[in-house]
Amino acid sequence: MADSKDAGEEALRRLIATFQPSFLAPNPALSETSRAASRHLFSALRPFCPKSPLDQLLIDGFDAEQIWQQIDLQSQPLLSSLRRQVKHFAKNPEEISKLKVVPLGKKVEKEQREDWVEESDGFDEELEDDEEGEGKGGEEGMDIEDEDEEQGRESDNEEESEGEDEEEKGEDGEAGDGGIEDKFLKIDELAKYLEKEEENFEKAEEDTRGKKGADDEENTEDDDDDDEEEEEEEEESDEVSVLLGSIVSDFVLLCLHRMLSLDLAAKMQQGTWKMQGMDLFYGVFLTLEHCGWDEQFILLLRYEDFFGDKGKYSKKMKAQLHQESEGSDEEDDDMKFKKQNKGTASTHQKQLEKIHSKIEEMEKANLEPKTWTMQGEVTAAKRPKNSALEVDLDFEHNVRPAPVITEEVTASIEDMIKKRITEGNFNDVQKAPKLPSKVPREVKELDDNKSKKGLAEIYEQEYVEKEDPTSAPLSFRDEQKQQASVLFKKLGLKLDALAHFSFAPKPVIEDMSVQINVPALAMEEIAPVAVSDAAMLAPEEVFEGKGDIKEETELTKEERKRRRANKKRRFKAAAVKRMGKKVQEGALPNQMNG
Amino acid sequence: MLRRNIRMRREYLYRKSLEGKERLLYEKKRKIREALQEGKPIPTELRNEEAALRREIDLEDENTAVPRTHIDDEYAHAAEKDPKILLTTSRDPSAPLQQFVKELSYVFPNAQRMNRGGQVISEIIESCRAHDYTDVVLVHEHRGVPDGLIVCHLPYGPTAYFGLLNVVTRHEIKDKKAIGTMPEAYPHLIFDNFSTKLGERTANILKYLFPVPKPDTKRIVTFSNQSDYVSFRHHIYEKHGGPKSIELKEIGPRFELRLYQIKLGTVDQAEAQIEWVIRPYMNTSKKRKFLSD
Repeated sequence: MADSKDAGEEALRRLIATFQPSFLAPNPALSETSRAASRHLFSALRPFCPKSPLDQLLIDGFDAEQIWQQIDLQSQPLLSSLRRQVKHFAKNPEEISKLKVVPLGKKVEKEQREDWVEESDGFDEELEDDEEGEGKGGEEGMDIEDEDEEQGRESDNEEESEGEDEEEKGEDGEAGDGGIEDKFLKIDELAKYLEKEEENFEKAEEDTRGKKGADDEENTEDDDDDDEEEEEEEEESDEVSVLLGSIVSDFVLLCLHRMLSLDLAAKMQQGTWKMQGMDLFYGVFLTLEHCGWDEQFILLLRYEDFFGDKGKYSKKMKAQLHQESEGSDEEDDDMKFKKQNKGTASTHQKQLEKIHSKIEEMEKANLEPKTWTMQGEVTAAKRPKNSALEVDLDFEHNVRPAPVITEEVTASIEDMIKKRITEGNFNDVQKAPKLPSKVPREVKELDDNKSKKGLAEIYEQEYVEKEDPTSAPLSFRDEQKQQASVLFKKLGLKLDALAHFSFAPKPVIEDMSVQINVPALAMEEIAPVAVSDAAMLAPEEVFEGKGDIKEETELTKEERKRRRANKKRRFKAAAVKRMGKKVQEGALPNQMNG
Repeated sequence: MLRRNIRMRREYLYRKSLEGKERLLYEKKRKIREALQEGKPIPTELRNEEAALRREIDLEDENTAVPRTHIDDEYAHAAEKDPKILLTTSRDPSAPLQQFVKELSYVFPNAQRMNRGGQVISEIIESCRAHDYTDVVLVHEHRGVPDGLIVCHLPYGPTAYFGLLNVVTRHEIKDKKAIGTMPEAYPHLIFDNFSTKLGERTANILKYLFPVPKPDTKRIVTFSNQSDYVSFRHHIYEKHGGPKSIELKEIGPRFELRLYQIKLGTVDQAEAQIEWVIRPYMNTSKKRKFLSD
């Protein structure tokens, strides 16, 4: 056991002694060393965790992940128990004094402490190594994640070991002196410092403005060693963690400062080197080594102090940061900015936080369905009720505006209408021509006018037509047509006479005509030819007279005289007329002559 | 009745679907006819069908020669029969809208006005089809000002949606004596500047709302298009002196129509095919004119 123990310690020591950046390159010897160291640490811690299923860390044939899981298996219950105890002590500070102090020898304690530290150291280194061993696929830099994980593991271990340490030291501190104090640690100074810090912290809580900038200044100007001491020697009180954090934050700042002062600063400015967790760790290492710290104590630094989020520290941390880098003027401003008491997270930390939260928000927004305004064509059914009223919908109306009806417009329209009317050019509905489905009935037009021909004449005409169809009078309605046809017949006859060689004139057709005054009997008479009209005429037609007709012989004397008188009278009247005419005629020639 | 309607609607849709083929046939016949007239050889792609098509050409008469479209089907009997119009409004019309609709019922001859009450559109359309109406006209408003006109031709006919602007009603002219009474003779129609196909279609839709007039009426209804805004005017004219003097007296309401949609179905068919719809959000829509050139 002792041998193995020694071997383990030896391994640890070797690990610590190695040049840090050499961890970056894969190195099988280094990994072997780290594995041995971690096994040693594991077994050292074994007594403190009764429930652990593993007695020893199994290394052979296991890869880094499995080894880490074994360590985790041991450390998780330890951590929880420690946390419980710390809380308990935080609530009941008086019990710390009641803790039984194990009167171990200084050396033993120291050894123990060393062991623990070495363990933790070993864990850290080994884990780093393992990480490197895993990630040796040609990668030069390690991922931040890995480093963070690493740091996490380290922190767990550190926390656990530190917790134990604290406990241990708490016990020791009460009991005696020599066990704890060394060249770095002075309990009196520690006490003073702690009191101061408490006051400061209270003030800070009350007064957001923070007047303790000055105090902080003083504090930072203290020896780094003091800080270190504080870290190790802490009361289990409410402000334990606070103080721890503050102290560590001071450290961080210092480390940053130191790191930046190295040639890394140049690289950072060039942008070729970005600060990573690992680098920070190295920076801390270097700083503290520079300060003269033992490596063991360095590793007591907790991960959470670097990267954890403690809401109360940020003010202080910020203040200190500004003091160191610039004047104290900005301190107040920063105090004003920070209304909440955030943890002493570094600016980088905070930036990272902000970015992460933003990223999360955006990712969440991307996964959710979009708002209706971004969904393209949206009908009223697809968006919430009255939502279009709340949104400022802006789109161009690419339409010609409605025409304003002015006098000119009306006049032009009316002119057009008038033109169309005069032309008669309308766009009416046209009746479609129907397809002839039936024969159109013949409409006989009855002439209402009285016929000019008497019925007898009509019968005559019909008879003539019957007898001699050719001699029928041309039954043309149109007189002109009738005349034209007669003329043409004559012309035709003449042309025929001219045209034909053997011309035979047409037989003259006797024109039958109806004579009205024909005697009823037309007998052939052997009577003399000369027949007077009297034979044809009726006696009334021969002589028409009215009254009583008497011969001369039958007349009485008066009647004879009366007749003679009438005759004379008539003769005279006629003579006068004759004379009148002669006079007129004579007058004219007379006038002409004269 | 219901089944008959369904059958007729299906027939109409079938005829519409055949239009494409008919147009093809018509084109082929036309080519053959031209080739024959000019004495050129018949195009090679028609050689196989040439004989059959030639026979068909010979048997054609003027009715079958022209390819019939669904538009012709819609308005096939429009010229033969006088139109019968039902005028109604949106629900709960205000008083000015009611007055406007009353005026419109005088503008369209053979129009019947009906109170809307609480009737559903589909009911209205069904009853109109049953009673042999040819058109249904709906008028919509915004706070008393008429702003929408929907003309629906009835047996499955097209529906035209217009927006009304700059409406001046007869009731707004307070002097009753000056305006006189409205004549009810069948008017002459004037459609000015409807030159595109869409313009012709719109003009037809509006034209078949009116019956065949007597040639000597004095009443004139004008639809004048100016950059897609159609002005409606209603006049009476008199010829005092010789033929050159014409005096126009404006009667009746005056408004601007703006077509924004034509659907190939009745109003109650929400899923009918859209023949044309206005697209005002396009960048070039300010420059384009759809009803004229």
